[in-house]
Amino acid sequence: MTTSQSTSLDDPTAADPVVEIRNATVRFGMERGESRVLDDVSLDLERNEIFGVVGESGSGKSMLASAMLDAVVEPGILDGSITYRPEAGDPIDVLGLTTNELRTFRWEEIAMVFQGAMSSFNPVRKIDTHFVETLSAHDYDVDEGMERARGLISDLYMDPERVLDSYPHELSGGMKQRTLIALSLILEPDVLVMDEPTAALDLLMQRSIVSLIEEIKEEYDLTILFITHDLPLVADLADRIAVMYAFEFVELGPTEEILQHASHPYTRLLLKSTPNLASPIEAMRPIEGSAPDPVNVPSGCSFHLRCPLADEQCVEVDPEAYSVSDSSVSVTGSDSDSDLSPDSDATSIPNSDAGDHVANCHYWEDAPETIPMTEEWDVEGIDAIDSAPGPSRTADPLVSMEDVEVHFETEGSFLDFFSEPDTVQAVDGISLDIYENDVVVLVGESGCGKTTFGKTAVGLQEPTDGAVKYRGQDIWDLKRSGGDGTMSFDTVRRALQIVHQDPGSALNAHRRVGTSLEVPLKRWNPELDGNDRKSRIVSLLEHVGMSPAEDYIDRYPHQLSGGEQQRVALIRAMLMNPDLILADEPVSALDVSLRVEMMDLMIELQEQFDTSYLFVSHDLSNARYIAEKTGGRIGVVYLGELVEIGRPEEIIHDPQHPYTQALRWATPEPDFEGGGMGGESPIREIDVPDPTDPPSGCRYHTRCPEAREVCTREHPEPNEASAAAYHEAACFRTDDHHEYWNSPSITDGGD
Amino acid sequence: MVTIGWRLRRLAQALFTVWAVITLSFAMIRLMPGNAMGAMMVRFEQQGMSPARARELVELRLSLDPDKPIHTAYVEYVLNTLQGDLGTSVFHNEPVVDLLAAALPWTLFVLSWSIFISFFIGIAAGALMAYWEGGKLDVGLTSWAVLMGSIPFYVLAILLLIFASYRWGIFPSGGRQPTGVEAGFNITYIRGILYHATLPVLSMLVASGVASLGMRGNSIRVLGSDYLRVARLRGLSDYTISTQYVARNAVLPMYTTLLISIGEMFGGSIVLEYVFNYRGLGLLLYEAFNQRDYPLMMGGFVLITIAVVIALLIADMTYSWVDPRAGGQNSDSY
Amino acid sequence: MTASDRDRTDPGRAEKSHESAVSAIPDGGTVNSPFEVVSEYEETRRDRLRKLYDTYVYAPISIIKRDWRAQIGFTIVLFYVFMGTIGVYLIEPTYVTEGPALAQPFETWEYPLGTDDMGRDLFASVVHSTSEMLKMILAGGLFTVTLGTVVGGIAGYKGGVVDTVLSSITDVFINLPGLPTVMVLALMLPIHGNPYLIGVLLTIASWGGLARAIRSQVLTLRQEPFTEAARSMGVPSHQIVFRDIVPHLMPFVIINLTNAARRVIFSAAGLYFLGVLPFSNHNWGVTLDLAYSGGAHYRTGALHWFLVPMVAIVGISIGLILLGQSLDRVFNPRVRARHEKKFAESQLEEVDPDSDDDSEPMIGAA
Ligand code: SF4
Ligand code: SF4
Repeated sequence: MTTSQSTSLDDPTAADPVVEIRNATVRFGMERGESRVLDDVSLDLERNEIFGVVGESGSGKSMLASAMLDAVVEPGILDGSITYRPEAGDPIDVLGLTTNELRTFRWEEIAMVFQGAMSSFNPVRKIDTHFVETLSAHDYDVDEGMERARGLISDLYMDPERVLDSYPHELSGGMKQRTLIALSLILEPDVLVMDEPTAALDLLMQRSIVSLIEEIKEEYDLTILFITHDLPLVADLADRIAVMYAFEFVELGPTEEILQHASHPYTRLLLKSTPNLASPIEAMRPIEGSAPDPVNVPSGCSFHLRCPLADEQCVEVDPEAYSVSDSSVSVTGSDSDSDLSPDSDATSIPNSDAGDHVANCHYWEDAPETIPMTEEWDVEGIDAIDSAPGPSRTADPLVSMEDVEVHFETEGSFLDFFSEPDTVQAVDGISLDIYENDVVVLVGESGCGKTTFGKTAVGLQEPTDGAVKYRGQDIWDLKRSGGDGTMSFDTVRRALQIVHQDPGSALNAHRRVGTSLEVPLKRWNPELDGNDRKSRIVSLLEHVGMSPAEDYIDRYPHQLSGGEQQRVALIRAMLMNPDLILADEPVSALDVSLRVEMMDLMIELQEQFDTSYLFVSHDLSNARYIAEKTGGRIGVVYLGELVEIGRPEEIIHDPQHPYTQALRWATPEPDFEGGGMGGESPIREIDVPDPTDPPSGCRYHTRCPEAREVCTREHPEPNEASAAAYHEAACFRTDDHHEYWNSPSITDGGD
Repeated sequence: MVTIGWRLRRLAQALFTVWAVITLSFAMIRLMPGNAMGAMMVRFEQQGMSPARARELVELRLSLDPDKPIHTAYVEYVLNTLQGDLGTSVFHNEPVVDLLAAALPWTLFVLSWSIFISFFIGIAAGALMAYWEGGKLDVGLTSWAVLMGSIPFYVLAILLLIFASYRWGIFPSGGRQPTGVEAGFNITYIRGILYHATLPVLSMLVASGVASLGMRGNSIRVLGSDYLRVARLRGLSDYTISTQYVARNAVLPMYTTLLISIGEMFGGSIVLEYVFNYRGLGLLLYEAFNQRDYPLMMGGFVLITIAVVIALLIADMTYSWVDPRAGGQNSDSY
Repeated sequence: MTASDRDRTDPGRAEKSHESAVSAIPDGGTVNSPFEVVSEYEETRRDRLRKLYDTYVYAPISIIKRDWRAQIGFTIVLFYVFMGTIGVYLIEPTYVTEGPALAQPFETWEYPLGTDDMGRDLFASVVHSTSEMLKMILAGGLFTVTLGTVVGGIAGYKGGVVDTVLSSITDVFINLPGLPTVMVLALMLPIHGNPYLIGVLLTIASWGGLARAIRSQVLTLRQEPFTEAARSMGVPSHQIVFRDIVPHLMPFVIINLTNAARRVIFSAAGLYFLGVLPFSNHNWGVTLDLAYSGGAHYRTGALHWFLVPMVAIVGISIGLILLGQSLDRVFNPRVRARHEKKFAESQLEEVDPDSDDDSEPMIGAA
């Protein structure tokens, strides 16, 4: 604990740690042996910094959060030391506090925002009670505290009176999350630990919350530990970043350093595997293999099973934190091997000097060469994609949707005399043609109707108005009439398939993989006998990399990993030999490093099976990856309407609709060039309007920074948006002669 | 949260049920093989009455006219019932409504105590089991709860009668009020009533076993919830956590269970009051069965059903008031 | 240790995966159309039988073997079944003045549980009551579960008008008070002591609760992605209901089956005790009735007259509760998979500390 003292003398500007963590280890006893879910982690959290911790699920990053508050759940055992240094007063040994002291310490000094904001409130009590009871439990003045609460809530762009008077279930996810942030700051803590605070939210909301966090940090003088799986997101926010793998830090350094000179192979691979908007899609590569089990962490360097640079030394010697001293990575013959002294491991802690960059890898110098990621980082690379094989869109469409409307009544029955039933206009007049071998990716915020629209396209949801045609035949007419000789509804049913977002619930938990996969074959290939079916299933499983397939066939879904479950669901759809597959957020339930791999697999299967895809995604970078790789289109959906559609080049680089621009802004990007991106938020309201009562005129006018008076009255129709083919947007700004240009602005700042 | 539409629908459902039960009882009296009317006629005739006289009597007692076409008779019966005219008891020769009204308070008295105490015990025991989950107390109480769930209340009633009353003479062996004390609002009388109600109430406490197992499961779920973890980190006192967090959320689902058990207990009162010779609704009904006193029997049946319908209606209607999340759909939870 | 690692340690399995690898090689050449593959791999009948045995016999037995609740429950229920089926042939039915009046229990081998005031052997009467009782339980339990599941399932899956009609009917039955309804119906209907009819009659008012619960579960399940996937594959509705939805309801149905069985026992004995059901045979409730009217509660030396039928009633319901609680685990694929020979433990489960069985005792579930 003295180390940091000495460093602070060396460098008075930087080293003023609020929290010092030394050798924190969390162990669980399990049937199969002891598991370490946090392995000897040391960290100095500097006052007033935002420190980002990045890790995939199961990397131990949440354990670190719990450890900071000495709140590891039983029967976990936390060892090591954690020291908290208040601005004034003596350092506090957190692990030595009594139960009562701990009760005071938590929330007053270090507060926490949980991953599960959705379930962090007592469902039967109003929001204000949560604030009041926290204040009184800590003997704070309630009136004064509630004043502060109101201030916090309005700082987070919400109406304090409305929020405080609500029950938790009456708030949307984004509002709950922001309310939880307000609740965590109510006792004016110095340190805020945020564990995946935005994981369950839409990009736009994520991005808005991240900007709010920055504001709040300044205003309330906070130190923030931000834990996430999303490297690009935290890169925008954090001063320093630590990357976690297998329950320990593998690399730690200033954000710019990590992005531009990532030195640990895992960090480099992670960066490469993360889809984003700027880098060429060819550069995105999945990481092979899977993260280790806490009981069985590999010896030596825990990454050696997946590392392209690994050799014997990696298997035998656990790498210590090597200092990646000079940022201009000097690849000179290094003598780092000789530095290896066994005892240096325990004491070597990431230096508290904020300028320092360390990587736990023996061969960190070689990593940039072996795992290159920089050469084609210029924008020119993107134009090359134009050659991507696009489908011919001149032929007859495979599925065409004409003015499709889906309205749900939230409450409705023959006895509702008094209340006009609320109607959610999930989809409101969308037309879209999908061709053979076509790919369309729909993006938008949750609740905007993109999934409903997708299900309508594959005939799983009947539209309340408009028509869905499969090869020119209205499928719902076909279903009612039972076929007209040329085509039966069965044909349609077989041609249109779905792959769900959550692979865990897409498979029947009571059926083995083999039995689940037999269903489509039994239904559509009655000529096959049991052994034929089995061989097909086996060969497909092997084909998607699940081998030995014999073994997988007899497993239940819960015995598969998320990625494997998704593969099974995908194969099941493919066995129908469909023409169009609706893939509803097929990768969002998977770990970041697995997403590219899954998308690649889907694209490969598309080519083999000659299908079209309708993807649904809330993530613009995933959308871009798929659309660009397949020559498809991206459609942007807002409140039940298709507001812009076009090829990825246009949507990403030349978005015409202000909403698309907002999505573009919200998509975090690792900035390899240095310098922040960010910029002013292009939306005026963080929250999406109530879909039961959508705004008049252009539905986006409540949030649009360009909105003018005419937008509140008139409804824009899709319009040629640019010279590029297939690029349309529904905004008056695309029409140079529209009365819009003479209409007065309705935004506060003026235009 | 809850729309007027939903409440109306629920009310309509309740009215439909009442109507269905009344229709059912009409059908039983009138249409079934060996129907009540026929049986009564035969009995009166056996007593030496002329068929005409017997018919007249039956008509009077059942408030049904056997000669009218069936649909007119049906409409009349429904209207009469809804107006509270359930006919006249054959045996007591008094209006059925008066008999039932006199007996009902005694049964309600015993039942409300039984329900209150057994749920109190059940909730307390369940919370204890959950708090020390897996411990000795948990195992002990769970075994106790399984045993309680396996004992029919009348078995406990007989045992209590044998021991607490006949062998040890602590409690009276039957009756509902002390003899020789003037009925009224005086201490001796009230004490006497409580004294007579003790054994019936105690017998019904077997219901606490099932209740405690339900509570145990609910509490364990709440104890593992995210909001509980956050509440602990926020430094809330153990008292707040146990009352406002665990108890409230765990007891909520018990609410519907509780109101449902009212229906079962009403039915059970027939056996209970028989064992203790406690003159309430149950015993009245039992006697009506034995004497084939159809008007009284069917009147009691209709009354009990309506009581259950009302209890469930209250349960559904007030659930959204107890649980802010319920938008009416939660009535499906049982 | 991953599953594939474990392969290597198990020679039998290693051989199998090798076999499949061989079969996959021919496709390796024509990977472009894995869809066209035809049979290369022969699964023998023995393989198939072995798998069936593993799933439906070995795993359930092994689950039950490791759970004391299940063991006790099973033993008790089997004992009663033995009494009710074979016992009736071993033990002579008793008759009036067979032995001395009110012989005490555990004194002679002739009347092991004593006799009543008419000299009837209580042990024999317990044994002979059992078979009657089992018939009622069987009829009542099956009736409740079948009607409740079918009505609730159809209402939930079909929705619309069908749902409105079925739900309204269900609601009427939910509101019927159990015992009085049975008494009224018993009086009106010609049941003549037929145990099956009585069993059905006793549960006439109790299937509604199950139907309602099943309906709301089906409403949720039909929204689940896996049923939607089945629909999109064109699987017919009845198959979706029986293959995809019903298995998820099994634990719930089993608990309700044992609850219904207990209800039948309690109500039957209760009504026989009141003497309002027609009877032709022995029954624990009848014995209680005779004891009560015979004044056993105040006569000295007659306590066993009550206790014998009481123990019989309480015993079987303890057995049913325990059995219900543990059978629920047999239908849980997580628990089942853990007990199959093939995957003695799965790596995925252990990481998640609460994935161990989460079955709560839920006799109050309905
Ligand atoms: S130490 Fe070896 S195995 Fe580990 S990351 Fe470095 S090169 Fe790879
Ligand atoms: S039409 Fe108006 S409000 Fe709508 S997006 Fe365009 S500028 Fe904004």
